[in-house]
Amino acid sequence: MSDSATPKLKAFARQLLACEAATRDPAGTKDSRAFRACEKLRGPLGKLVGISGFRALLSRALAVGGEEAPVLRALHIRADGSLEDLEAGLDPRKLAEGEVVLMAHIVGLLVTFIGPALTLQLLRDIWPKIPEPNFGAGQTP
Amino acid sequence: MKKKITARGTARSSANKVNPNLPDKPSPPGKLKIRQLPTGVRGFDDILGGGLPEFSFNIIAGAPGCGKTTLAHQFMFANATPQKPALYFTVLGEPALKMLRYQQQYSFFDLAKLGKAVRFINLSDLVLEKDLGAVLEEIIKEVQAAKPGMVVVDSFRTVVRKVMSVSGGEMELQGFIQRLALFLSSWQATTFLIGEYTEDELRDNPVFTVCDGLFWLTQNTERNSVVRKLQILKLRGQESVPGLHTIRITGDGLAAFSRTQGLTAQQDRPLKRRRLSTGIAELDQMMGGGVLEGDSMLIAGPSGTGKSALATHFLAEGVRHGEPGIAAIFEERPRGYTARADSFGLDLHTPQKKGMLEMLYLRPLDLSVDEALQEILDAVKRLGAKRLVIDSLVGFEMALAPGFRTDFRESLYRMIAALTGVGVTILTTVEIEDSFTSFEFSHYTISFLTDDIIRLRYVEIDGQLRKVMVVVKMRGGNHSKDIREYVVTDKGLVLIGPRQTDYVRLTSGLPERIGQSPPEPAPEPKARPRRIDV
Repeated sequence: MSDSATPKLKAFARQLLACEAATRDPAGTKDSRAFRACEKLRGPLGKLVGISGFRALLSRALAVGGEEAPVLRALHIRADGSLEDLEAGLDPRKLAEGEVVLMAHIVGLLVTFIGPALTLQLLRDIWPKIPEPNFGAGQTP
Repeated sequence: MKKKITARGTARSSANKVNPNLPDKPSPPGKLKIRQLPTGVRGFDDILGGGLPEFSFNIIAGAPGCGKTTLAHQFMFANATPQKPALYFTVLGEPALKMLRYQQQYSFFDLAKLGKAVRFINLSDLVLEKDLGAVLEEIIKEVQAAKPGMVVVDSFRTVVRKVMSVSGGEMELQGFIQRLALFLSSWQATTFLIGEYTEDELRDNPVFTVCDGLFWLTQNTERNSVVRKLQILKLRGQESVPGLHTIRITGDGLAAFSRTQGLTAQQDRPLKRRRLSTGIAELDQMMGGGVLEGDSMLIAGPSGTGKSALATHFLAEGVRHGEPGIAAIFEERPRGYTARADSFGLDLHTPQKKGMLEMLYLRPLDLSVDEALQEILDAVKRLGAKRLVIDSLVGFEMALAPGFRTDFRESLYRMIAALTGVGVTILTTVEIEDSFTSFEFSHYTISFLTDDIIRLRYVEIDGQLRKVMVVVKMRGGNHSKDIREYVVTDKGLVLIGPRQTDYVRLTSGLPERIGQSPPEPAPEPKARPRRIDV
């Protein structure tokens, strides 16, 4: 897997974040879309791979994503797998792009490890309305 | 044909039968019948004695790489439904992501079942940070929420190791296992604990005392071959097949090959049996009209004497009479075998296309006899085969893993019995070296396994190495005692008319001409001496 998220993965990440934006934030946290998406992933993924496993995935996504979107370097993962808040005063445009890169890398890692079908199944359990992704030939990111 | 079912060397159970080949003894009124679940593992249900007892508490143990996790997955995917899901608790073994990555490569892994029918729950953080009480509590919570029909804990060994490392750990573990087994059985879940154990740990281990079923998987390296085996060390409530059974892991997962397969449903030979033509009319005459249907016939002879040619005649003649055939070949490739038949004017292509003939090419070098037998039995069933050729025993032996070669004779006994038991007529070839001092039938000393023996050999006559054959044995009747010369031509194997010339000591390979009859022409022309002009 290359260190940059592919355009197809980014396009899918944008759709995923749009799905998340369309959902109501029950806690009214006003967190970013990526924070909320990661939080929603933490439950089922934590159950599947353990919190340590989820933290490992997230830290890998942040590390490779940070090269592409430096805004992600400002993020920190707590012991329970949740993300620390972004630093205040970040450029909203850069932040939005960072969110896309982060989600693209999380999805990319899942597709790499467990394949597109299982990844989509897992994501659709959280966001049932995600459209069919197009990861390209062989369905690899 | 009346079918008689015997229980020779196989499992019998009073439990509810899944396997139709096994006898179903009706339970007396009021007695519990334990339902048996299919394992999803080819051959394993038979070894278990019908299937896995429902609500049983089982352990799959063995060294790494034996197929423990795959076995549990197969069982899970064969039985889990959204109504009765399977919960797979991963502890400190293979990470769940990797497990999903690798296990989905198997054909049984049904993506559609994941999430609803098959659910993975990771307990590694809990095991690392808390005690067994917390682990049990989490399992109970998940089981109460999901109401599963099946629970797997992988790897349970890590839980045991952690607890046993502290003082008083054994009692804590004992209590944990008792409570876990009681809870899961009460909640009607069939359970598997998966663990890497060594044989030394079998004794005094509370886990093994509590469990209902203990399945031991091993992997042995024999010279350059690897052989995996399965043993049922314990199974409550039903009779399983004892001993070590070969297993193989393929793209379809685990497949198990019972030591007693094929011996469970034996057909009685009919009192009056047909004579089948070998495809060589004169040989049929020598055999008193042909080979008796259901016989096992051995063709023994050195290389190049036409054993495979005779086998080809036998198969082609069967096809001509509408009798499907199987050729289990170990030395030649199917294409070569078929091409050689062409050179005799025997068409084996068309019957293969029409499903009347199948070539099984078995040559993996770590084969077990049971596995080969399973392949053949499956093919016999698939085609409704009446004739079977095994060509040759030497090639078969070479294809076996070294460990199986040591008990080849015993294995052959089981195999021939199983195959004749399903009613096929078998022609087996065996290569033997011609000795000029003895007249062997086979160096395997397996003549007791065969009903009929035909011996081919070379003899030196008049400056030529010619071929002769003799029917040595026919269990089902009288036969010619003549030693007949034959040739292999573009028509296949052709017997030469009885000779006027008399010889003695033909079986020695170095016969001596007796009598005064005039010399006869050689069956195949001799090289003529060149005229040398001086």
